[in-house]
Amino acid sequence: MKMMDNGKTKDTSAEARLDALFDQARATPPAVPVALMARVLADAAALQPAPHAMRTGWRGWFAALGGAPALSGLVSASCLGFWLGFAPPDTLPDVAGEVWGVNVYVEDDSMDGVELMAFGWDIEEG
Amino acid sequence: MALAGPSCQGRPARLATRLMSEPIPSVTADGEAALLQRYANGDAAAARLLAQSLTPRLYGHAMRVLGDGAEAEDVTQEALLRLWRIAPDWRVGEAKVTTWLYRVVANLCTDRLRKRRSTGMDDIDEPADPAPGVEARMQNAARYDALQRALNDLPDRQRQAVVLRHIDGLTNPEIAEILNAGVEAVESLTARGKRALSLALQEQREALGYEDDG
Repeated sequence: MKMMDNGKTKDTSAEARLDALFDQARATPPAVPVALMARVLADAAALQPAPHAMRTGWRGWFAALGGAPALSGLVSASCLGFWLGFAPPDTLPDVAGEVWGVNVYVEDDSMDGVELMAFGWDIEEG
Repeated sequence: MALAGPSCQGRPARLATRLMSEPIPSVTADGEAALLQRYANGDAAAARLLAQSLTPRLYGHAMRVLGDGAEAEDVTQEALLRLWRIAPDWRVGEAKVTTWLYRVVANLCTDRLRKRRSTGMDDIDEPADPAPGVEARMQNAARYDALQRALNDLPDRQRQAVVLRHIDGLTNPEIAEILNAGVEAVESLTARGKRALSLALQEQREALGYEDDG
């Protein structure tokens, strides 16, 4: 017996005996029945996916590309490339125009003579 | 009663006999996840290693919580069946394989314990025998039975927490995850469970032969 801070006694021998029983339980776990292990192995074999299963059709093509992440990157890169070819920035040569032999210049003179004020709107006080 | 499933005659039975005679492989948590990935990729050796490593732990836990060998077998097989099914979709790094499995087993055990109460089959006749050979040591067997009887009398959650902590050797945060409870609640469950076990065993002290052991 051990006196606790709150004045109560604690049966340390009972705790020690319980700990000994736990130790023994850990040291001698129940043996797994062979039939159970056989059923577990049979389940595992029955549900195991086939090794290196080859996918066919569009699923195989999709998987070969790298799945959804790879395909989204491919689509983004294609769109960017198309846009750069169609409307290149001023610093880049217009390759598409040179290839097709077409150069389009647009001169917008509709705003000539108009003084832009206040974000493009004429404000008149009446 | 065993769960209906694929026939366990022939090759699995021979393999099971061979595996049972080998020492249980020591597999780390990372190793379990890697083995599960190998299993999903079709590696048959990974299935054997996982079964060899996990089945004894799950069966031992279910035996202690349910106190019934046949039910413990069903629960173990069902939990591992769910693992095999989820293997192709398992996300490495999200959860520990053993923690996930213990959680499945804990839930299956809870379902069975509730069903027992609802059908009035709460009384377990006698705890099943431990490992072969142990029964020859009569005093050890009596102590085993005494611990199992005392465990059977604990409330379900206390029993599960005590078994996970003191027999399966898991940490309180792991048990909290398995039992879907807070760490403080787990500490309280194990402390109350230990006190109740000490009291129950005190009454059986003479039967345990501790008077002779000193």
